[in-house]
Amino acid sequence: MANGWSLLISIIFIVVFSIVSWFASPKGETQTVWRSTLVLSAWACWLMWAITFLAQWHPLITPQRADLRPEYVNGPVKSNAAMLF
Amino acid sequence: MAASKDSLFRSVDMTLTQLYVANEIGREVVSALGELGCMQFRDLNPDTSAFQRTFTQEIRRLDNVERQLNYFRSQMEKNDIGMRPIYEFSNTMAAPTATEIDELADRSQSLEQRIQSLNDSYETLKKRETELTEWRWVLREAGGFFDRARGQTEEIRQSIEETDDAPLLRDVEQANGSTEAQGGQQSFSVMNIGFVAGVIPRERMAAFERILWRTLRGNLYMNQSEIPDAIIDPEKNEEVHKNVFVIFAHGKEIIAKIRKISESLGADIYNVDENSELRREQIHEVNSRLQDLSNVLGNTKRTLDAELTQIGRSLAAWMIVIKKEKSVYQTLNRFSYDPARKTLVAEAWCPTNSLGLVKSTLQDVNDRAGHSVPTIVNQIKTSKTPPTFNRTNKFTLGFQTIIDAYGTAKYTEVNPGLPTIVTFPFLFAVMFGDFGHGAIMALAAIAMIYWEKPLQRGKQDELFGMAFYGRYIMLMMGIFSMYTGLIYCDAFSKELSLFPSMWTWNFPDNYEPGMQVTAQRVEGYTYPFGMDWRWHDTDNDLLFSNSYKMKLSIILGWAHMTYSLCLSFVNARHFRSPIDIFGNFIPGMIFFQSIFGYLVFTIIYKWSVDWYAIGQQPPGLLNMLIYMFLQPGRVDEQLYPGQGTLQVVLVLLAVVQVPILLFLKPFYLRWEHNRARAQGYRGLGETSHVTAAGDDDDEEAQEGHQQPNGRPSIADSEMDGGAMITQDIGHGEGEEEFEFSEVMIHQVIHTIEFCLNCVSHTASYLRLWALSLAHQQLSIVLWSMTLANAFGFTGALGVFAIVCFFFVWFALTIAVLVVMEGTSAMLHSLRLHWVEAMSKHFIGDGVPFEPFSFQVMLEEEMNELM
Repeated sequence: MANGWSLLISIIFIVVFSIVSWFASPKGETQTVWRSTLVLSAWACWLMWAITFLAQWHPLITPQRADLRPEYVNGPVKSNAAMLF
Repeated sequence: MAASKDSLFRSVDMTLTQLYVANEIGREVVSALGELGCMQFRDLNPDTSAFQRTFTQEIRRLDNVERQLNYFRSQMEKNDIGMRPIYEFSNTMAAPTATEIDELADRSQSLEQRIQSLNDSYETLKKRETELTEWRWVLREAGGFFDRARGQTEEIRQSIEETDDAPLLRDVEQANGSTEAQGGQQSFSVMNIGFVAGVIPRERMAAFERILWRTLRGNLYMNQSEIPDAIIDPEKNEEVHKNVFVIFAHGKEIIAKIRKISESLGADIYNVDENSELRREQIHEVNSRLQDLSNVLGNTKRTLDAELTQIGRSLAAWMIVIKKEKSVYQTLNRFSYDPARKTLVAEAWCPTNSLGLVKSTLQDVNDRAGHSVPTIVNQIKTSKTPPTFNRTNKFTLGFQTIIDAYGTAKYTEVNPGLPTIVTFPFLFAVMFGDFGHGAIMALAAIAMIYWEKPLQRGKQDELFGMAFYGRYIMLMMGIFSMYTGLIYCDAFSKELSLFPSMWTWNFPDNYEPGMQVTAQRVEGYTYPFGMDWRWHDTDNDLLFSNSYKMKLSIILGWAHMTYSLCLSFVNARHFRSPIDIFGNFIPGMIFFQSIFGYLVFTIIYKWSVDWYAIGQQPPGLLNMLIYMFLQPGRVDEQLYPGQGTLQVVLVLLAVVQVPILLFLKPFYLRWEHNRARAQGYRGLGETSHVTAAGDDDDEEAQEGHQQPNGRPSIADSEMDGGAMITQDIGHGEGEEEFEFSEVMIHQVIHTIEFCLNCVSHTASYLRLWALSLAHQQLSIVLWSMTLANAFGFTGALGVFAIVCFFFVWFALTIAVLVVMEGTSAMLHSLRLHWVEAMSKHFIGDGVPFEPFSFQVMLEEEMNELM
């Protein structure tokens, strides 16, 4: 699902987003604020995502824990929707 | 530059304008401009003291009215009468006419007298009432004293005159109460015992007793009792607890002494008759007088209250009218008056884009006044630095305030307030990253924005006022914190399993609880968004997240600083100083990138290589960076081929930039200066002097500007007044003399600062890691100490425990994790902006634009007048 290509795709996405928000920003006094805020936010968020992605791309260490119960052996939770609060 | 659109990117273009206003409509013009609020008037009579100015009389008169209005206000506060809030007036912004002001002044004059007389009589009556009340207490309490005291005199008398017809008398006394009292009283006078009765504040009682005891050497008999009800001091309007005392003593002199002492200690002495009959009568009389007095008092109070309520209906509006009027005259005092033409001349800074609006407003005023002579608006060219003005709206205001709190930007330099809208809340969020806490903050901000109007009108305490002022900052901080929370995979310290994990637990065959389990990676799959939730609660979670967050901070810091450094390029381009590009920006950038840009490159490079797949040991980056300087060319653990050579080149590149940074700019400036000199040019300040000297009496004319009365003598000159005054401005600040040593010292400081700061500022961004780590750990601890415990209980107790612990946990989450941690993260983000980012480009020697605006002036008052 997610591999090295996601970096490239995400960059393209952010570039497109930046271009769109540049031209789609409402005209008038606040145009500069809109443009700067949207583009900068997009890149800041992308940077954070990319760093996190890269850090886990080729991880040097793997998770370890010693408090798992035996019931866990057969079926660890696989759901992707439940938020485990 | 053509009239461009105003944006937050740079401060607004300003123009120095000159206004010629006919004297008759000066007040109306200024008042209209005050409503408009976009002109900053220069003081044209700087040498004139406040008393010598043209409109001092009017200001004094308005001061008096303002004082009267304030008096009404204090009276209303004293009597707990509410004022109609300013928001209920529909037309607070309409300018009053001169006659209205006069009427208002007269009215407040008469009202003041009325209120004062009412107040005086009320206070006198109140004082009288207090006195009577005290007296009543003394009379009442004294009865008890006398009874007790009499008992003692019996004994005394017995001891003195044993032989007398005491038994007989005693019988009589026992038979008849009234005779007994008389007998007792007779005995006072017979024995020459006098007494003093009065009241004294309770806290002075001890001192009073001690002093009396010492001065009279114990020759007194003192009785006291506390008055249960507090007595209201009519002058200060506060409650005072008092005691009644009666002192018996022997001899006139001692009595006089006691009187003096008690008076000096603030006691009130009242007349009490020895005779109990008379005393009863006195009590009756006092009571009836009190009754009458309270009737009168009630009436007076009602009248006063009615009067004050009447005033309170319109007081807020009056105060605004007076404040506006006063500021109009204060502004008019800054104008210079031309007696020959009967016009007022004003100079004002005005945003270039607003000039049209100003002109049309002035035209309106003229038409309304039916004045034939139009108000003239001239634009003047000047060498004076215009004030810096950034147009903000309610969204950008908070962010701009952050920047302005550090310093006012130079006129039309890049305004860091614009990128701050994103970078400030984003860096905050990196430290505050938690979806749950971010959501709380965002919701709080949304609530404040939704109920903006009612909240704005209500009274705000200091902390809430701050949060309310920064509600849009809070909104952005909350939104970004939710995002970074998702990236960190944290919501109230618990994981968010949005996607399938990239790790599966690889249980050994003979697994028993307590054994270490190592996860295995799902082949070819990387967790797509944020941190993998499987890292939560693992034993080596911190090992991984520390390395990740540390590198994250360095990369974000590098990006933020590079961005800020680029703004200095934009500034240099804008101010047309290529030397700042070649002498500062380019070498600085190369220096920074060849060290820290390279560090960021190696971090990313190391991440993108699958070290286990190629069977190599991953090199440590920190050692690499250290050895890059200590032993250039030597590489212990190779990151990529050719690393040694590249690092040597980069180090050399960085080192070479230092002398360029040091010397290029100062020597270029010197060369430029010398070349200009050689071609016969001179400094701007000098030239204006030289050209003006074409006229013979120019020296005198220049002197004329600084006449003692301070008004430029426009009338003597046939020239247009504008030109003269403009020269006067330019005269003040000629071009500075070029001083090579100063430039050099400045550049040396800049270079040292820049190079050292590259290192220290990069390290400073590590606070992002430290604070986010602290925040995460704190929320984990909070969870495990409260709610996690509650899940241990079962049954009804479990329900109860969960509810209780939930409230504890939630309250602490808000107080500690959101408010306290949020404040600290905000301060750190603030520092990163002020120090780390703004030092890269901010010039900031601007003058803030302070327009004459009723709105700005009244903003503070509005809060008071609610």
